[in-house]
Amino acid sequence: MEGLFGERSIAEITGKDLRLPAYDPKGRLMLFPVRHHSPVCSWQLIRAINEFRPDVILIEGPENANELIPVLTDENTVMPCAVYYFYKDKKKLVNKEPRDYKCYYPFISSSPEYNAMAEGRRLGIETRFMDLPYSEILINTAENKGLRKEQDKHSYTDETRLTRSQFYARLCEKTGIRSFEEFWEKYFEIEGLKLTPEEFCKNMHTYCVLVRSEETAQELACDGTLARERHMAHRISEALDSGKRVIAVTGGLHSAGLAELLEKGDTATVKLHKIPFDMEGCYPMAYSYEAADALHGYASGMSYPYFYDTITAKLKSGADTASVYDEAALELLINTAKETAKRDVSVSIADVTAAKSMMTGLAALRNISQCGIYEVEDGITSSFIKGEKTIAAALPISVMHRLATGDSVGHIGDSRHTPPLIADFQKQCEAFKLKYASVTPHEADVQLFSGEKGPALSRFFHRMEYLGTDFCNMLKGPDLHRSRDRSRVREQWRYRRTPKVDAVLIDHTTDGFTIEEACVNTAARALMDRRRSADAAQTAVDCFLMGVDMTDEQQRLIDAMIAADGDFFSLGEGLGCFARLHELRELYNISDNSSYGHMDSCMGKLMSALPAMANVPSENAEDTVKVIRRMFSLTGGVMAHWRDTLEEELLTLTAARDKQAEVYGAAMGLLYAMDHSRRGETENAMRGYLKGSSEVRKQGAAFLKGLFSTAGDIMLADDSFIRMTDELLTSLSHLDFLEILPSMKLAFGYFTPSEIREIARSAAALHGADDTDITNAEIIDEGLFVYGRKLDEEIALNLKGGSRLG
Amino acid sequence: MSADLIKPPVEVRFADQLKLLADNDVGKRPQNWKLSPKAVRTFILGGDVDTPQGKVNIPRKFYGNDALVERCIITLAGSRGLMLVGEPGTAKTMLSELLSAACCGVSTNTVQGTAGTTEDMIKYSWNYALLLSKGPCREALVPSPLLIGMKNGIFARFEEITRTPAEIQDSLISVMSDQILNIPELGDEGLVQARRGFNIIGTANTRDKGVNEMSGALKRRFNFETVEPIKDVRLEKEIIVREAEDLAKSGHIDCPIDTDVAELLAITYHELREGKTAEGTIVEKPTAVMSTAEAVSVFYQTISHAWYYGDGRADLGMLTENLMGAVCKENKDDLEKLKAYFRTAVKEKAKKVGGAWKAYSESAALLK
Repeated sequence: MEGLFGERSIAEITGKDLRLPAYDPKGRLMLFPVRHHSPVCSWQLIRAINEFRPDVILIEGPENANELIPVLTDENTVMPCAVYYFYKDKKKLVNKEPRDYKCYYPFISSSPEYNAMAEGRRLGIETRFMDLPYSEILINTAENKGLRKEQDKHSYTDETRLTRSQFYARLCEKTGIRSFEEFWEKYFEIEGLKLTPEEFCKNMHTYCVLVRSEETAQELACDGTLARERHMAHRISEALDSGKRVIAVTGGLHSAGLAELLEKGDTATVKLHKIPFDMEGCYPMAYSYEAADALHGYASGMSYPYFYDTITAKLKSGADTASVYDEAALELLINTAKETAKRDVSVSIADVTAAKSMMTGLAALRNISQCGIYEVEDGITSSFIKGEKTIAAALPISVMHRLATGDSVGHIGDSRHTPPLIADFQKQCEAFKLKYASVTPHEADVQLFSGEKGPALSRFFHRMEYLGTDFCNMLKGPDLHRSRDRSRVREQWRYRRTPKVDAVLIDHTTDGFTIEEACVNTAARALMDRRRSADAAQTAVDCFLMGVDMTDEQQRLIDAMIAADGDFFSLGEGLGCFARLHELRELYNISDNSSYGHMDSCMGKLMSALPAMANVPSENAEDTVKVIRRMFSLTGGVMAHWRDTLEEELLTLTAARDKQAEVYGAAMGLLYAMDHSRRGETENAMRGYLKGSSEVRKQGAAFLKGLFSTAGDIMLADDSFIRMTDELLTSLSHLDFLEILPSMKLAFGYFTPSEIREIARSAAALHGADDTDITNAEIIDEGLFVYGRKLDEEIALNLKGGSRLG
Repeated sequence: MSADLIKPPVEVRFADQLKLLADNDVGKRPQNWKLSPKAVRTFILGGDVDTPQGKVNIPRKFYGNDALVERCIITLAGSRGLMLVGEPGTAKTMLSELLSAACCGVSTNTVQGTAGTTEDMIKYSWNYALLLSKGPCREALVPSPLLIGMKNGIFARFEEITRTPAEIQDSLISVMSDQILNIPELGDEGLVQARRGFNIIGTANTRDKGVNEMSGALKRRFNFETVEPIKDVRLEKEIIVREAEDLAKSGHIDCPIDTDVAELLAITYHELREGKTAEGTIVEKPTAVMSTAEAVSVFYQTISHAWYYGDGRADLGMLTENLMGAVCKENKDDLEKLKAYFRTAVKEKAKKVGGAWKAYSESAALLK
């Protein structure tokens, strides 16, 4: 670090009169600057605490989490963990519109803040957070700044300033280093191990003061930094006034600001608001290394957290600081080689030796006393990748990144502080023997209809999915929402525990104390937001899959929604969903029979709306036919009492003046299916199309499509419809034929292969040919066929004594 | 003397810098190296050298990935060979020359790999007149660059190794494994052991991948480094200007370099290579090699034309014609792709930026 700044003073570099906070082990206050997740900061901080022996350790962190400090330092708590803060801005103190806010404060074993708490506990020193409560930070932050930025992931420990400053960019340019992380590892993590706490603090203060000198007061005010620092200065001042010796552990950028405020005695804090207890809170939660990695978008600490945790563990256990990085780097290299070999990429001992030699050589070339993670990466790049470095060839690098990042999940030791939903989640995972202590994805096969465990596990997965935890997703299995793959008897799920699982479960705490309760209440709330019967039916499907009973009130709500719904298609979809639930309830062992009542309600509404569907636009014809077929199918079984009404409504529909051909065809088909004596009427309807103009004839294809979709057997009973179809096709011009071709293809799609063969035989017989000539004949060129037909016509004309060709 | 040469070797071109570095080098050197690894790094990547007269700046010669250069230096100090792979025109050869000149003081000890390269060219051959008169003896032996490298403890460079048939490439294996080359014709005196400092730098073009794939055994004896095209347009412009200046100087072309035109060319090459413009428009990538070296060549042709036939100022019409010549070499579709680039990206920039882009856009009519 000395090499970076040389003999130049801060004033020379920045042009400003900036002073570094003093390090005085005999004084009353020590401002200790840290970087989150930094092993060297933790190690030096522990040394400083032992040297200074303060009465109180004040740590940067929202102070409404003070009561969680014993939980985080509990001997059974395993890092990574986080404090999850939420604030529901119902009082509109932050924004004009009420909104919910949340953020994480992650800790790993390398976090200096965690080590300050742990050391405080070990030495019996009072330890407290000293920052503004989360709600106040938000209130004092401008829109789209700091913790109010529009992004999915909010970390309390945002280090964007530290890592993206212009100052660092210039340093990298000067030192030929690729990134801030590499710069940090070289000059702070590795070289910092050679320093005394005082020297280390001086270096940290120097860097952070220089970075801070680039910021304007306005920028610092906008993201809440100034308000937070005033509050922290206030807390420090309070402690000093009570005669205590204080160590204040903060991010390096705050130390200079705090020193200035304390020196000026400017420690009046901002006015704190009275926030009701149910609008603001915090929970301890298990966190993962993956989420703690700065590379995953939180910008909350260092990359490769697991690697740095191993460094911290070695330092704490008294490892030699002169070789701790070399040892950890070699272990990582060997583990990468082993893991890579498991993936069928051969890595020999010679490769490992060459990589080690590369790492050592690079460290010497770069003036680093030990190999860090960037030397490991370079060693692997050079010695493990044979050939061009492509995404596929760079597998050893991605393996190394994964190992250095870590995949385990922490654990909150004091179960009294585990949020109830997370406790229920863990209990159920254990009961189902699901591996939930790692972020590595796992798969589970669930037998739906055998034993008790399978259905229960399926419901658990569906519940977790419904709550939006992203814990699991179904790879295979029956899809009751869209009525697909219903024949499957098992489900295949992929599940993976990430911090989001915990966060979402905490968010649902207000919905209940068990996952089942949370699902019941979430579904009830979802139902309140529904307007269409189709959506209400989908919620009913969700409840069915989750094994959650709907209350009588909710059932009445669904009925009211059906009664108020005037959308034929929504009602049709609702009817389909409720019918599925009714059909499957015994198979899924569901006692609730309310779906039949909803079916009845839907059917009643559909019956009265049916005649009005005679002339729907063509684009809705297929959906209409689908609903009518569903109605026909149900009235032929469990809803037989509606059959007569359906017949009447269909007769009314077919008697309408203007009719959409496909719907008309489908209705005629159903009427024929109900009473075969209506065959003649159906044939007449088709003849009507054949006798019409070219446009009307084209509609004949749509009529056939509708007809075949509901009564395909009418084609097979005798050859009258085959003749009519033949007549239709041969009467059309080439272009008209091409126009109706898609409809005809769909129309014949309703027949089975054997029926198609039967129809082909009859159609071929009309032209004196064999069915194989149609079904298996070689496909001839379309142009040739048109030409041949024209030739036939010409010959026929010639035979009759005239010729157009002259 | 070097002023008369078209392309003087690196050790001649930068002799003063190499001497300065050697004179003031306090770092540890691998045996037989002329400079320490730190000084080699400074020679290639630039930096300040402390001399009794004060700090002297050594300019950067290779742009791109600094860590790659560091890995190359450390590889060469070890027991494995160095294989530089990458797209054509990514300065692999230049890097290998710089490394050889800095480490060994010689960059010309080179085997050029072609389809016609034989084992003789890699190992040794004979002066047949002497062979007939004196029989197999050291005097009659014609050493290959590999043998010279082994005897003198310097690097042997093997250019375009994958252009050479695989069985010929494999003749390197025994040399690299045992650091010994046996010349059976010389009997007991036929064993040549490599002196410390010997190593091999290979280059291979990824466009030749699959032509003569290297064997696994040979691959294992090399550390591979992939040299990527320059991603930064600003840097590419700097290189074009600097290289064109050097070429102009050696060609006695004394006209000022138009940096606006260089920037325009750098952007064109960058966008065609990436298949996307700075404005986010997707453009089709030509199949031709769109390297910085090609861009330098196009730019130099343009200023040469301006010097000999014009008023000394780079003409954008001529630049476009030269660009067409460079891009439309192998595939006729490339012309359409270039035309499309002018119709969309260049036209858009002409509207937004104006200036040279406007004249550049108007020159699109020359693309035929």
